[in-house]
Amino acid sequence: MLLLTRKIGEGLLIGSNIRVVVLEIRGKQVRLGVEAPGDIAVLREELLEPVAQENRRAAQVQPEDLAEPVRIWTIKKE
Amino acid sequence: MNLDPKEIPPDPASFTVATRNLGQITVREGEVITFSPGLPGWSQFHRYVLIRRPQESPFLWLQCVDNPDLALVVINPAEVVPQYQVAASSAFLKELGVEEPQDLKVLVILTIPPGRPREMTANLAAPLLINLLNRRGRQLVLENPQYSRQHRVFPR
Repeated sequence: MLLLTRKIGEGLLIGSNIRVVVLEIRGKQVRLGVEAPGDIAVLREELLEPVAQENRRAAQVQPEDLAEPVRIWTIKKE
Repeated sequence: MNLDPKEIPPDPASFTVATRNLGQITVREGEVITFSPGLPGWSQFHRYVLIRRPQESPFLWLQCVDNPDLALVVINPAEVVPQYQVAASSAFLKELGVEEPQDLKVLVILTIPPGRPREMTANLAAPLLINLLNRRGRQLVLENPQYSRQHRVFPR
């Protein structure tokens, strides 16, 4: 991992079109500004973890457990 | 000329995967869906294929071709919540290269607790979006999802 030290107002560039700037430091919190083109999604990292957890639960599926849902669906349609 | 099936050379654009849940499957390169940067939980695996087994309709399998043990049951969310709406931003759709709404396929992942299929839940909060034209996919993770990550499919 690349390590950089920045002061308030200083930024860094990722590639040619993403810019991250340190706006404010308050105790343990850092306020960052992100400038990125409209087609780049920016997301707080911790939002991924609950989704990853649910995905891992879903991957524990046993194929034979699909028979019952299929049966219920067929009845529902009739 | 009749060839013994065993002598037919394998299609160079296809390969087989010995999967844990679905047995041996043959995958054509053109069917592969690339999830970049992978699905949350497995960022190292990018290539998946959708498998439709008629006897299991309306359920589908999203099988990872880089990890034979990794397969998820997925469904069209409209089967679960008929008025389901995807809140994908235009930035997200641009990333996928989606230009026309009809090129976008939306699926949600189902969680079936082993041995308790009636407790199946659907992750409506983080749908899978697939661009059918370029076969690029991505799981949508929202800041403030309006749907549940564990939507109970069958009433208690």
